[in-house]
Amino acid sequence: MTLFKLSFRNACRQAGDYLVYFVTVVMVTALMYAFNGLIFSEEIQTLSQMLKSMPTIIVFASIVVVGIMSWLVSYTTKFILTRRSRELGTYILVGLENRQVARLFFLENLAVGGFAFVLGILSGNILFQILRAIILALFDISYHFIFSFSLRAVGLTLLYFMPVYLFAQLKGRKRIRSMKIYDLIYFERQNENAVIGKSSRRKGVFAVSVVLGVAGSVLLLVGGLLFGVVGSACIIVFLYGFFSSFSSAIPAWFEKHGERKYRGQNLLVFRTLSAKIAEMGVVMATIALLFTATLISEGSGLTIQKLFQNRIAFLACFDVIISAGNPEAEEFTDSVAYVKDSIPVTDSRQYQVYRGETSEITDYLENHTEYYRYYEKDILMRASDYTALREMLGYPAAEPGQGQYIIHCQPYLAGLLEDWAKPVRSGGYTLVPAGVHTETFAQYLWDVNGQGFLLVVPDEALQFGTVSHTMYVAETAEPVKEEQYNFLKEIMEWSMDSGLFLFVKSEKEAEAASMMAIAVFPLYYLALVLTMTAATILTIRQLSEKNRYRQQFALLRKLGMERREIIQALKTQFLIYYAMPVVPSVLIGVSFILNFGSGAEPGVLAGTSHPLVIVGITLGVFFMVYVVYILLSYGSLKREVMD
Amino acid sequence: MLQVKNIEKYYGNKNNVTKALDRISFDVADAEFTVIMGASGSGKTTLLNCISTIDTVSAGDILLDGENIAELPAAKLAQFRREKLGFVFQDFNLLDTLTIEENIGLALFINHRNADEVKNQVGQIAQKLEIDGVLDKFPYQVSGGQKQRAACARAIVAGQSLVLADEPTGALDSKASKNLLEILTKMNRDMGATILMVTHDAYSASYAGRILFLKDGRIFNELLRGERTRSVFYHEILDVLALLGGDVSDVI
Repeated sequence: MTLFKLSFRNACRQAGDYLVYFVTVVMVTALMYAFNGLIFSEEIQTLSQMLKSMPTIIVFASIVVVGIMSWLVSYTTKFILTRRSRELGTYILVGLENRQVARLFFLENLAVGGFAFVLGILSGNILFQILRAIILALFDISYHFIFSFSLRAVGLTLLYFMPVYLFAQLKGRKRIRSMKIYDLIYFERQNENAVIGKSSRRKGVFAVSVVLGVAGSVLLLVGGLLFGVVGSACIIVFLYGFFSSFSSAIPAWFEKHGERKYRGQNLLVFRTLSAKIAEMGVVMATIALLFTATLISEGSGLTIQKLFQNRIAFLACFDVIISAGNPEAEEFTDSVAYVKDSIPVTDSRQYQVYRGETSEITDYLENHTEYYRYYEKDILMRASDYTALREMLGYPAAEPGQGQYIIHCQPYLAGLLEDWAKPVRSGGYTLVPAGVHTETFAQYLWDVNGQGFLLVVPDEALQFGTVSHTMYVAETAEPVKEEQYNFLKEIMEWSMDSGLFLFVKSEKEAEAASMMAIAVFPLYYLALVLTMTAATILTIRQLSEKNRYRQQFALLRKLGMERREIIQALKTQFLIYYAMPVVPSVLIGVSFILNFGSGAEPGVLAGTSHPLVIVGITLGVFFMVYVVYILLSYGSLKREVMD
Repeated sequence: MLQVKNIEKYYGNKNNVTKALDRISFDVADAEFTVIMGASGSGKTTLLNCISTIDTVSAGDILLDGENIAELPAAKLAQFRREKLGFVFQDFNLLDTLTIEENIGLALFINHRNADEVKNQVGQIAQKLEIDGVLDKFPYQVSGGQKQRAACARAIVAGQSLVLADEPTGALDSKASKNLLEILTKMNRDMGATILMVTHDAYSASYAGRILFLKDGRIFNELLRGERTRSVFYHEILDVLALLGGDVSDVI
């Protein structure tokens, strides 16, 4: 048997502990390949003009991913070297030269890396098909499986993968080559010597970091750019300060509160935990930062997605909307004429939207909710236009009776406007409220059917009304093509009238789909890699400690501690270990997402798109991935220690 | 205090039975320092494991303070161990994440004693064993001898009836071994601890009041020190070992 085989067999025996790491490397490679596949897919590139910028963004995201993966591979290689140092030292002891052992370790890892790469590329193909299907669905194109294997995508993935892997392995090789047998055999022990330190400086750091943590959280919750930046800085300092001083603060706390030390399983739980954190304080802080970045990426990705979707959904009841302050303007008449002549229209209507005599309801909304005022006066519409538009949109009939008015508004204003009971005056008539309707009615943005709401009044009440703007809306037999939209846009661009407004549903949907592909997907890509990397490092550390746990378990059993109590201590410590980096991340992430969401115009992020729902989904997705790692780790702990 | 009556221990299946202990009987009186000696494979560790309830006997009875260990339900074994038995292991078995004080206090902590009681009792025993100066240190910060004293302190701090020591000097140099044995003697003489120690080292065994020699799972011989000096007793042990034909090479 060659030494390589022997060493490889040894590595395989320990593989169980590092399987999580291997799977993560495969998954990250698969993600890299899948996104690289998008870069080189002509089918995807030609879907929309906007997608032309996708390669740059994906490459940028991939560079960040390479950085994170580099940390993961370097950290784990170093860690494996520590754990296997005794074995490698023994090879030197029996007569092998350092450089031979270094080469062995290098080749062995290279073989594992190569295998991970091949598996990554294969599973990346499946991932690519999934991404392709999602993007095609976004553009309303039916998906058919076409096998594609892009050599260029493989090449680019290899270009990312190789330096990451080679750098880590060469570092490991260099380390072994320069080590003495003693160092290798006692390498593990040397690391474990630095278990827990006590220093008053660290206690000070702990106190300061906790204060900064609280201050940072408050600043983030208050919101705003400046507070946000300062708050984030405080939180970063807090994370590193907290985790590097936690192990010193615990003994200090125990000294002060001796009575609590021996309560329940406190002693075992916190001592073991602080020993572990003493060894990996900086890593723990970095993991917390990665989790924070994950939540921010996921949350902002989801917020951007919802913003784009909803903004379009508010207007998307019509296929085409053109509006102008002056209906005689050439740009308006030309555009309308172009739509009528060149696009198969199934139904259309041109009508006026009026400025009311008062601004009572606008004032009311402005005073009672977050409402962006655009019009000085309340905006009105004729009942006949309203009835026709409802019919065109397939909504049930609704019309104000004599002496009545109807309010049509966005759903987020409905509650407030249902409470509104005052009459309004128009054209010499006094009209009383007769209900609120909330169907989608192009009420988002400005020169459309009111900003958030409008009042529908009998025609006679607007006989001499002041026109705010003229609208042309149309339903088309097929989606408006990109070149038709470009032509309309060209006509509009010539205009000097800033009141001109053009909305083409198919184009906006394509824009939203492109936005998803170029901004939201890369954010999810980053989020997934960040979670997997951080969770992998936590899990490797946890799994590698099972011998220590086993010995501890055996000793406590011998000393007569109840099995139930030991298991409870282990579980508590396990849970705290996995919760520690998550708690600050959730605090920061949630306040960031809420702040980010609150920056959107009112009403856009409401209902199932409410920032709180986004927070819920973000946490749900994050924990779904995180829990997989926790369960893997717990399964091993249960199987190999508790049972 | 301890009565071992006709115990037997078999390993393996019906086609291949290994008899580890063969009808062993002896008593250990209160405050007695007894040593079990024997070559590797003679059954001494198996005997210790059976007494410590870590292993079960195939036949026979073990009574500690009149309570039959063999009849104790599994649920009661942990309680029995933490209340009645103290352990001193060869490799100290201190938890490296706990301070010396906490390691000693572990025996009280798992007995759910309150913090003041833990602190007081640990303080007292540490003073007697002269490790009160290192209580706030971690195991890696103290010497091997101090670690072993801490392990001894843990074995008696909760007022355990019987201290079981499995090759406690195995990992120590001669000076530290001597120190430890003197501590065990002190624990036995001044604090009234009942000690049952397993060793194959004649020098360590010479500190005991009585030695049981084990060979092939049976008691082969018994030596009582009586009023003899330790040096005389040591030579007698060597003579018996020579008869046993086993571990003489280990001791000269």
